[in-house]
Amino acid sequence: MSSWWTIAIKDLRLLWRDKLGLFWVLGFPLLMALLFGAIFSGGDGQASALPVAVVDQDGSKASADFLKTLQDSAALKVTLLPDAEVARNQVRQGQQVACITILKGYGKSNQLFSGGEPPVRVGVDPARRAEAAYLQGILTQQMFQQMFTRYTDSSQLRSLLGDSLSEIERSSDLSSTDKQIFRTFFGALQQFTDEVNTGNPQRSASEWQPEMVKVEEISLSREAQLRPRSSFEITFPQAVLWGLMGCAAGFGVGLVQERRMGTYQRLLVAPISRWAVIGGKGLACFLACIGVTLLLLLIGRLIFGVRCDDLPLLGVAVFSCGICFTGLTMLIAVSGKTEQAVAGVGWAVLLVMGMFGGAMVPLFFMPGWMQNLSQFSLVNWGIVALEGAIWRGFSWGEMVWPVTVLLLSGLISMSVGVTVLQHRKG
Amino acid sequence: MVRRIEVRELRKSFGAQTAVAGVSFEVSAGEIFGLLGPNGAGKSTTMHILVGLFPADGGSVALVGQHDPTQAEVRRQIGWVPQALAIYDELTAEQNLQFFGRLYGLNGRRLQDRINWALDFAGLNDRRRSLVAHFSGGMKRRLNLVAALLHQPQILLLDEPTVGVDPQSRNFIFQNIEQLRAGGCAILYTTHYMEEVERLCARAAVMDRGRVLAMDRVAELCRQHGGETALEVEVTHRPEEVAALGGQWQEDRLIMAVADPVAKLQELARAGVQYKSLKVRPPDLEAVFLNLTGRSLRDE
Repeated sequence: MSSWWTIAIKDLRLLWRDKLGLFWVLGFPLLMALLFGAIFSGGDGQASALPVAVVDQDGSKASADFLKTLQDSAALKVTLLPDAEVARNQVRQGQQVACITILKGYGKSNQLFSGGEPPVRVGVDPARRAEAAYLQGILTQQMFQQMFTRYTDSSQLRSLLGDSLSEIERSSDLSSTDKQIFRTFFGALQQFTDEVNTGNPQRSASEWQPEMVKVEEISLSREAQLRPRSSFEITFPQAVLWGLMGCAAGFGVGLVQERRMGTYQRLLVAPISRWAVIGGKGLACFLACIGVTLLLLLIGRLIFGVRCDDLPLLGVAVFSCGICFTGLTMLIAVSGKTEQAVAGVGWAVLLVMGMFGGAMVPLFFMPGWMQNLSQFSLVNWGIVALEGAIWRGFSWGEMVWPVTVLLLSGLISMSVGVTVLQHRKG
Repeated sequence: MVRRIEVRELRKSFGAQTAVAGVSFEVSAGEIFGLLGPNGAGKSTTMHILVGLFPADGGSVALVGQHDPTQAEVRRQIGWVPQALAIYDELTAEQNLQFFGRLYGLNGRRLQDRINWALDFAGLNDRRRSLVAHFSGGMKRRLNLVAALLHQPQILLLDEPTVGVDPQSRNFIFQNIEQLRAGGCAILYTTHYMEEVERLCARAAVMDRGRVLAMDRVAELCRQHGGETALEVEVTHRPEEVAALGGQWQEDRLIMAVADPVAKLQELARAGVQYKSLKVRPPDLEAVFLNLTGRSLRDE
């Protein structure tokens, strides 16, 4: 066993001296964690609000209410502008994601029964289409919210019904039969609204709410914590996997480099078994994997508040990742006969695994088919295991599956790699 | 003399390519035995079989009386200096020696003593804490050599240990090797430089295409296979009778291959030849190789 340690310490010393290798193993993952952490967090750990310009051309109480709803939304950063052209220019110059124009007549439109042009117009920066869908969702939500308020406020509803009846009477397009149908319908609706108020004098109509969504309050328990506290809790597990990929590629290439230099043959000629030579190199890789993981998590913990509360579970996740990527290293090391070939094959496989495994972009940003493919990526399982221990609140039972996948994959890869290395000549 | 290396009818092929075809030789304690041949002659393959990197297809090897070179106790008796610079550039000289020493079971005070000896022996004591990456080619070669000596092996296998080395470092390495021989080490030395064999080896085998073409003491090889002595005379007076003595003229130089140069010089004097300089080149290993293969060793 002492020969294992001798070889492992030598390899770790070589890694330490190799500044470029060290960058890929530690520096690059850390940069990724910081960069993407900052991008996704907006600097304060919260999703950043969309800057929008709003022009109120209606100037009614309803449009003012709608404007206030938008201003109160945490998802939007509203700038009120007097002129639609100014607003459009600001979008064109990239200062705003979109301009929202509340058109004249918004207050008079009952929105549900009126046809024709929508009362709100939205212009979006073509370069930021991704945010457009998000913005449309927010606006729809706010408009429905306002409409809901109007139809559940008895005075507003009565006023609307009165306006509608007057318009029906004035209309020249409707036949007398149609007018009679609408009179009957709106009259019944007005009577219903009056009865609601008269029958329940303690309760106004606005207190009546249809139960569309049942909201249940939960205590600040385990479930409440099952979300990342900051984007760094997502990017640091990703960074760890980048570090592990760097270790796997670096040590895999290192083994081939030793063969080319002749030092590997010199080790084989020493009075130690071939198994000890390979084991020593595997041990070095495993220790590097563990070291890189712990160092990144320590930085995440101390500087960015990444949680490492469940240490036993985190330990199991880190150990499994180490075994998995040590196994991959052995497989990568035998994937070619030259350093170029091994580096090419190694990084190609690792990058694809990283891409589909969520090391580049979090899985929830990916389309469904990519998320399905991620099941075949060991990077995904590594991230799941680490996130499980960090913020997903995995129980031991929930941790079994990702850990089993990691350990089994690592051991199978290691067996194949070691078998090939054992039988290779020289 | 105790035989430390015995090789009998060694054979090795890689597919259809025969690398070693029935090679036999032995090396005794306190002897430097040379394997001389061009690239591809089978020297390094023979060496790799001896250290257990390749299994032989046939024949046998015995190192310190043991037939399996992969056994740990046999390997502790072997010091192998590979042709490649098998040391770590990103470690210091001392760290390299610590690493290889530990692999051979050395540690503590004994390891430190051996490292000190090795660095002194290689003339690298003042550079012990320098990274090998900053060493000259000659310094790397010397470190490559002493990394194989830390465990005081009885057998030293040197595979072209002076490739790419400046004359000064080469001389230093030769002195090291002669010291080791004097200490009782059995040394197998492969090279394609005939001068090195002539300088270091008492006996040598000339190899080509996997076969030993001739094997004997170096002087005897030259005598048997080197042909006649080359005599080159730069003349000041050239009498007409000299044409009958043979040889080839290149302007005022007469070049002759002769069995007895002294007798030939007396003959030239009798013929009235007067000369201002003469060169006598006895047969060397270059000539031996040329005569045995029809090719020049230097051309390979």
